[in-house]
Amino acid sequence: MIRIDIERVAYDYPGGVRALDGVNLAVRPGETLGIVGQNGSGKSTLVRHLNGLLRPTEGQVLLDGSAVERRHVAELARLVGLVFQDPDRQIFAGKVRTEVAFGPRNLGLRGAELDRRVVEALEVVGLAGAADENPYDLGYSRRKLLAIASVLAMRTPIVVLDEPTTGQDLRGVARVRAIMAALAAEGRTVITISHDMRFVAETVRRVVVMRAGRIVLDGTPADVFAAANWNVLASTYLEPPLAALVGARLGVGSTPTEASLVEALGRADVDAG
Amino acid sequence: MPTGAYRRLNPATKLALALAEAVLALGVRGWSGPLVVIAVCVGVTIAARIARRSVLLVLASIPLLVSIVLVNTFLYPGATDPIVQLGPVRPTWTGLAAAVQATLRVVAFGFSVVVLILTTEPDHLIADLERRGLGRRAAFVVGATLRAIPRTTQRAGQITEAQRARALDTEGRLWRRVRGILPLAGPLVFGALTDVEEQTMALEARAFSAPGRRTVLRVFPDSATQRVVRWAALLGALALLASSIAGVLEAIP
Amino acid sequence: MSLVLAGVRYRYAGSRTDALHGIDLEVPSGSVTGLVGPNEAGKSTICLAAAGLAPATIGGHLEGVVSIDGVESSSARPHELAQRCGILFQNPATQLSGTAPTVWEEVAFGPRNLALPGDDVVERVTDALAALGIESLAERDPTRLSGGQAQLVALAGILALRPALVILDEPTSQLDPQGTRMVGEALRRLVRENRTAILVVEHKTALLDQLADRVAVVDQGRLIREGPTDEVLSDPALSEHGVEPPPRVRVRSALAGAGLRTPREADVLIAELTR
Repeated sequence: MIRIDIERVAYDYPGGVRALDGVNLAVRPGETLGIVGQNGSGKSTLVRHLNGLLRPTEGQVLLDGSAVERRHVAELARLVGLVFQDPDRQIFAGKVRTEVAFGPRNLGLRGAELDRRVVEALEVVGLAGAADENPYDLGYSRRKLLAIASVLAMRTPIVVLDEPTTGQDLRGVARVRAIMAALAAEGRTVITISHDMRFVAETVRRVVVMRAGRIVLDGTPADVFAAANWNVLASTYLEPPLAALVGARLGVGSTPTEASLVEALGRADVDAG
Repeated sequence: MPTGAYRRLNPATKLALALAEAVLALGVRGWSGPLVVIAVCVGVTIAARIARRSVLLVLASIPLLVSIVLVNTFLYPGATDPIVQLGPVRPTWTGLAAAVQATLRVVAFGFSVVVLILTTEPDHLIADLERRGLGRRAAFVVGATLRAIPRTTQRAGQITEAQRARALDTEGRLWRRVRGILPLAGPLVFGALTDVEEQTMALEARAFSAPGRRTVLRVFPDSATQRVVRWAALLGALALLASSIAGVLEAIP
Repeated sequence: MSLVLAGVRYRYAGSRTDALHGIDLEVPSGSVTGLVGPNEAGKSTICLAAAGLAPATIGGHLEGVVSIDGVESSSARPHELAQRCGILFQNPATQLSGTAPTVWEEVAFGPRNLALPGDDVVERVTDALAALGIESLAERDPTRLSGGQAQLVALAGILALRPALVILDEPTSQLDPQGTRMVGEALRRLVRENRTAILVVEHKTALLDQLADRVAVVDQGRLIREGPTDEVLSDPALSEHGVEPPPRVRVRSALAGAGLRTPREADVLIAELTR
C-alpha cells in the first residue's frame, strides 16, 4: 500500500486565483482521512492533485516517494481512485455492469477477471441485483453507489470519495460507512471529503480542516472538535457535532461522537461516585 | 464620433446596420461593397475604441482566408492567365483577383459581425427586440443559449475529469482517445436532457407560459433619425442586392 | 387551510405502478411542514403533485384532490398554479432562468411573465429580496453566486409571484454548511414575517427541527406518520423508515439510554447550547 506526501503545494487556477497556498500533508498507507471545509477552501482542488488531474504550481506531490508530476492521469488512476460527488457526470453506459467495467477495462482487464471485479464491486455497494438494469432507472442514491462501485472495481490502493453522503438517505449513508470500513480493513487508504461533521467524526481516524487553500487543523476527531479549536472552526463557518458541544459543556473532555460522550459521562459518573 | 456614441445607439439600429453591411459584404458584386463595409467598420471601431479587439477577432478567420486564397489562386476554373508555371501547378491572375475579392468579403462580413458583438449587449438586443414584438419563447431561447455556453463548457470539463479518473486515456495515442467519445459525450447529452426537464418545470413554476406580452422594464432610447437610418440601411442594402443580381451594377468596380 | 391533498394517487407516465397510494396531507397557512422519508419514497412526487406540475407539465395520471387556498389545482393552467404555489428544487443551476444579467432581473422574471405593470414588478422584486435579506445581491451576476446565494435568488424569484404556498424539495442538499445555514436563516425569517405556508423536504432533520411546526413521514408512496415536529422526530421508529433523527434527539436518547441524564435534563442542556 502507498504513502502520500504533499509538500508545500500551491496551486493557481488559470485566472490567477490561488486555490492552494502551501499545503503540507503526509498520509500513511491505510489511513482513513476526512477533509472538511467550505466550498472554495481547496478540498476538491487538493484531491485532484493526487491523480494528476491538476499539477501543482509550486511544491510536489509524491506517491511512495515518487513524484506524480510527469505521469499521465490514466497511469495514476491505477493508484488513486477518485469518486466525484455527482454520479451523473460520469454515467454513460446502458447497463450497470458495463458502467462498472469501464474503469478496470481501461486498466487492461478482460474476460473472466474483469467480470469478477465487476461482480465484487457491485456486491460491496449492494447493487449486485441491479447488474443488468439501466443506470438511469436507479434513483439518485443508488447511482451514487454505482459511481463508487465503478471506482472500487479498479482496486486502487488509495480511494478518494468526494461528498459520498450528500443526497443520501439513512440507508445510503450506512452503506457508505460500510464501504469505507471494508476498504480500511483491506489496508487501503481512504480519503473522504464531506460537509457532514458527524459523519466524519464517526467514520475517520484523522480530520483535516481547510480554509482558503490552507490546512488549519489536523488531528483525530477528538483533537479537531475539542473546545480549544472551536474558534478556528468558527472561522471556517463549521460547527462541531452536538455531542462535542455537550461533552465540553459537561466538562468531560472532547467527545465528538455520541458514543464517546456516553462513555466519557459514564466514566465521570463512576469516578465521582 | 466620441467613444460612446455608437454604443449608445438603439440595439435595433446596430443590428440593422450590421445586417445591411453583411448584405453589402457578401451579396453585391464587385469590389466596392466589401471595401465600403471595411471602411465603415474601421471608422466605427476606431471611434468606439474597439479597434484592437476587433482586429484580433477578425484575425481568427485567418485559416479560412488562407484556404480561400489557395483554392482560388490555384484552382480557379477556366482561367487562362498564369502567373507562373510551377510544374503541374498553375496559379492564375484571375484566380488571384478572385481570391483577394473573396478575402475582402470574408473580412468585411467578419468586421460587421465583430462590431455588432463588441458594441451591443446580447441582453439589450433581445430585450429591445422583445419590445418590438419578438415572442418570449424566441427571446428566451436565444438568451438562454448564449448563457448556456459557459455552463456546458464547465460541465464538459467535469465529465472529462471524472472519466480520466477512471483511466480514460486523453493524453496518449490518438486511436485510444477516439474510444473516449461515448464516455465523454454520453453524460453531456444525458445531463442536458435531465437539465431540460428540470428547467422546463422551473420555467412553468415561474409562469413562463402566461399569455400576453411580457412587461417591458428597460426601454432603450430611440429617435426618428435612427428609425430612418435603419430603414434606409436595410432597404438600401436590399436594393443594391437586387440590382447586383439583375446585372444593373456591372459598371461599378 | 392553504394546501390540501386528499386521497391523492399518482402514476408517472409510462410507469406500471403508482408512485403515491392515497396521500392525505394538509398544510395550514402560516405554518411549516417538513416531509421526510427514504429516497424514492415519493417525497418529490408529493411536491410535484402539490405544485400541480404533475400532471400538468410532466404528464402521468393523478387521482384525488389537490387544492390550494380552497381552489382545486386540476383545472388551473400552469401559470395560474405558479401564482398559488411556488416550488424550489435542489439544483441551483437549473432553477435560474439563465437569461438575466443581474439578480434583480432574475427575480423580476416571474412578475414580468405575468405582464404586470412595471411598478408592480418593481414592488414585488423589492419585497422578495427584502423577505430573504438578500438586497445586497441585487446587482450581482446570477451565474457567479455561491450555491447558497443562488438558491436564495431562485427562492426570491418564486416569492415574487406571491404564492400562498411554497414547496422546497431538498433545498440544501447541494450546499455546503455555510450555504445551508444561509438558506435556513432566510427561511426562518420568511416564516416569521409572512403568512406563506411552507412544505419542505429535507434529509437534514436538524434543519426541520428548527424550522418546522409539523413533520410527515413518507415511505413507499404512503404517509406513515404526521404530527408535531418533536413528537415525530423523537419517535424511535423513525430510523426504520430511513430517516435520521436530528442531533438533539440522538444525543438525548444516547444520554437517557445510558441512564446518564433524563430526557428533560438533556433537553434543557441542549437548548442552552444551541440557542
